[in-house]
Amino acid sequence: MQKQKAKMGYIFIIPSIVLVLVFIVYPVINTINMSLYDLRIQTLAEGKKFVGFDNYIKLFSDKTFIESLKFTLMFTVVAVTLETLIGMIFALIMNKAIPGQGIIRTAVLVPWAIPTIVSGLMWQFMYSDQYGIINLILSKLHLIQDYIPWLIEKNTAIIAVIIADVWKTTPYMSLLILSGLQTVPESLYEAASLDGANKVQRFFRITLPIIKPVVVVAILFRVLATFRIYDLVVALTSGGPADGTQSLSLYTIKTYFNFGNLGYGATLAVVTFIISLLISFLFMDALKTKMEKV
Amino acid sequence: MMKKNTKSIKLKKYIKGVLFALFFIFFVGGIIFPFIWQFLNSFKNQKDLFSIPPTFWPSEWTLQNYIDVFERQPFLLYLKNSTVISLVSTALSVSIGCLASYAVSRTDIKGKKVFMLVLLSITLLPPITIINPIYKMMKNLRLLNTYWGLALAITTTQLPMAVWFLSTFFKSVPNTLEESAMIDGASIFKCFYKIIMPLVAPGLFTVSILVFITAWNQYLFAQVLNPLKIRRTVTVGITLYQTDYTVPWGTMCAASIVITVPLIIVVLLLQRKIISGILDGGVKE
Repeated sequence: MQKQKAKMGYIFIIPSIVLVLVFIVYPVINTINMSLYDLRIQTLAEGKKFVGFDNYIKLFSDKTFIESLKFTLMFTVVAVTLETLIGMIFALIMNKAIPGQGIIRTAVLVPWAIPTIVSGLMWQFMYSDQYGIINLILSKLHLIQDYIPWLIEKNTAIIAVIIADVWKTTPYMSLLILSGLQTVPESLYEAASLDGANKVQRFFRITLPIIKPVVVVAILFRVLATFRIYDLVVALTSGGPADGTQSLSLYTIKTYFNFGNLGYGATLAVVTFIISLLISFLFMDALKTKMEKV
Repeated sequence: MMKKNTKSIKLKKYIKGVLFALFFIFFVGGIIFPFIWQFLNSFKNQKDLFSIPPTFWPSEWTLQNYIDVFERQPFLLYLKNSTVISLVSTALSVSIGCLASYAVSRTDIKGKKVFMLVLLSITLLPPITIINPIYKMMKNLRLLNTYWGLALAITTTQLPMAVWFLSTFFKSVPNTLEESAMIDGASIFKCFYKIIMPLVAPGLFTVSILVFITAWNQYLFAQVLNPLKIRRTVTVGITLYQTDYTVPWGTMCAASIVITVPLIIVVLLLQRKIISGILDGGVKE
């Protein structure tokens, strides 16, 4: 009986394996292979030329690449840090039995459900220097005197992208952290308060250690998702001003489809892949615990 | 002494209440505000939209922006394309994912761990790494600008989530249930769809919602694989109202409301399911 069942198991898993082989494994190998060639749409007739690691060497002198890598890394670190800290505060509050819980949880889903491309356009209009609501609010609160040209200067454009991303993803993060908080047994808190521990102590000694695995996995997935940021910059800044907010993904897409440089585009794609891999290794312990549950 | 104590407790409670109200307004307001603002803008005329400083309420409510959405581009077609592609992606992800989850969690096949590890690494893989080969492949298979091509690509990216999530559901069905049915003479396949499937139905439903929303919101693959008008999706369409010379904000605000409202309705109706889906599928399990 078990044997027959296993046979069915193999048949059932075939579609998934085919899908993974065709749409994941083959494309990854193909991209790695392509990154070793010089191939351009414009000279497609001449065919591809094997250049070894030349494309990778070129990266070091490519200012656009270095700029986009810097922006992407910086953006990832800042955005995910903010998301985690704010998400933690939200989750702690959402974990309390408070009135309006239903409204809060529904509200939290709104930014998550809005397509990133739409939220990017939405924020673009809000950031507009004269017609934008953000400058109006800030000046009404007397926080600024002159209107800030948010998307026209590099530094403010970076801040603008970070704010828009934090708005979109913090609610989701707070839900993930909340799922961890709900696993903390109430009895632990009671015991701790009998021992005279205050709220801050309780958080750092009891809550944090218990929710740590959940938070670490959440951070890993957020870091990787943020690192591949594409939709948001396309809609909000198109990578500007002067490539100031051009993410690695956006630069890769431009290299592929606008400049038609297929070999170099593949190199950029491989580098993005390798960095994602390195980031995942940093979180190896968290991934292991996830795998153990299989 | 006693009196003073109760008074300070009351005061504390009062302060807590005020702090909470402030948090509530800040939190809910901050989260919802951009959407509300977009909503109001979509009903404003040109004069209101570009008034300096901006006005909150429209001086007159107009539907012109919504008319423009459908007149300037075939947005109804885009809506249809997005709907079909999202539905196909959902059906594919759920059915393929369901079969794989059953295999992984209820049968003794070899290489389970490797399979799950591969799925996990897919979620870690940047889509940018596979986009160009997929584009070439779809081109060779004549699947560019089709429903199936884009839906297949989306399905592949959603498969890991579906399998990880569904396999916990499959595991929760007690073995004895299946065994006793088999003793009664039911075939393995019959057991699968008569006994196990109904029990995991709530899980299937949650995964469907999550895949549908992700597919609807997909931009990168939609932009690359379906660039032509005939199969363009809403997320790509909305970026094409602006030209180098004009940015028709009213039209774009209205279009974004048209794109988002179906999702917001789904979210409002099914928020419990969605939250449990995010909580269980994301990291908890």
